[in-house]
Amino acid sequence: MGNDTDSRLSQFRKGVVVLAILALLHAGEAYGGEIVERLASHPGLAISAGTVYPLLSRLKKSGLIDSAWRESPVGPPRKYYRLSAEGGVEFAAMARAWDGVTDAMDDLLGNGASR
Amino acid sequence: MNPQERKAAGGLTPESAELVETYFARVHGALLVAAADECEETVDDLRAHVYEELAGTAGTAADVTRVLAELGPPEALAAQCADVVSGPAPLTPESRDGRSPLAGTLLGMPYELRVPTAERIAMRWWDPMNPNILVPRVFGLGWDLNLGAVAVKLGLIKPDDEDTPFESVPDRWLAVSAVLPVLMTLALVTLVALFQSALPAQVAVHWGVSGAPDRFDSKGSALVLPVVMTLIGLAILGSAWLRRRPPLSRVAAGALAMMLCSISTAAYAQAVATAYRASESGVLLAVMGGSLVLTFAMLVTLARIGRAAEMRRDLDRTSKKGSV
Repeated sequence: MGNDTDSRLSQFRKGVVVLAILALLHAGEAYGGEIVERLASHPGLAISAGTVYPLLSRLKKSGLIDSAWRESPVGPPRKYYRLSAEGGVEFAAMARAWDGVTDAMDDLLGNGASR
Repeated sequence: MNPQERKAAGGLTPESAELVETYFARVHGALLVAAADECEETVDDLRAHVYEELAGTAGTAADVTRVLAELGPPEALAAQCADVVSGPAPLTPESRDGRSPLAGTLLGMPYELRVPTAERIAMRWWDPMNPNILVPRVFGLGWDLNLGAVAVKLGLIKPDDEDTPFESVPDRWLAVSAVLPVLMTLALVTLVALFQSALPAQVAVHWGVSGAPDRFDSKGSALVLPVVMTLIGLAILGSAWLRRRPPLSRVAAGALAMMLCSISTAAYAQAVATAYRASESGVLLAVMGGSLVLTFAMLVTLARIGRAAEMRRDLDRTSKKGSV
């Protein structure tokens, strides 16, 4: 059963993980380790560094996010990521779509549970 | 084409059906490029949907063009699908290798029988963003070492230090990766020049795990394998540089050439050592271990030079912006 749950989770996660990263960066810029840490603090997402870094690289290549080295208040410079203008537009669209899906799913799951 | 598809395509003129098939062939091609083979199923569903949609029309070329236009360009469709389905981990064996019979798992061990491209080899050996140290072999059975993950685990670099590995490294530093195997080749040439004529007629060419020689051959034959392997290494290196492959490929070719050249040099050095001091063993292991460490150090150093170059570029830009 554990395996089944895992594979179901991974199916969900694949669709959600881009939105999670865009949402996090929408709230403000962040460096790689910080992004990994903050996503990892939501165990339900089960996103690891091995998922986050390749995805950041992909999002950067597709122009949805930018990165740049910046002096850090503590320690050596860090590579910070932030949403590009295009990424902001994409995030808004994805968030709206997500709201539609969750509303529908809440409704369906709620009905299912009360039956 | 399976029977179901043939039935679905039945209502169309051959020209119209060909338009649809061409479109989806391009989607499949783009999926291959995006290493998102696992989208194939989704795309097949989409194709069935297109045929259904067309069944309700006259099925002319104009109808086909209109329906396909709704899907957008094939490349964009493939990119969209790849992002949704396998975006998070483009290089894991599961998503990348799809259902090709030439790659998969055998008795729990990964195998890869497709001819490796220089890029695929390079990506497996130096992939800091992938935390797995053992990655499926580029060709054959078993695993390869992802030196990028080793460097990250040792805290020498961060996974995202470089946007694309070695891309910002200045050319003169990239050249170091080509010079090392050449130096190793010179070491072999020097050894041959110094010792070949003085060697006894029969020399050791193979050693057991303990380091004791277990196979002998004429001293001329003892040269064949080292020379051939060195030439292969130099050919790989030369081809990567002459064809101006991306920096990651050139560096990986350098690393591969370094390993081939140092195995050759080590084997010959061991033959010489065995001929002169029969009890001496471990030359082979010492030279190979040393060159593995040297290769690793070279990769890490280049990655850090690339990071420094990126940093300089970005920090200069911010300070200029700040002063305006």
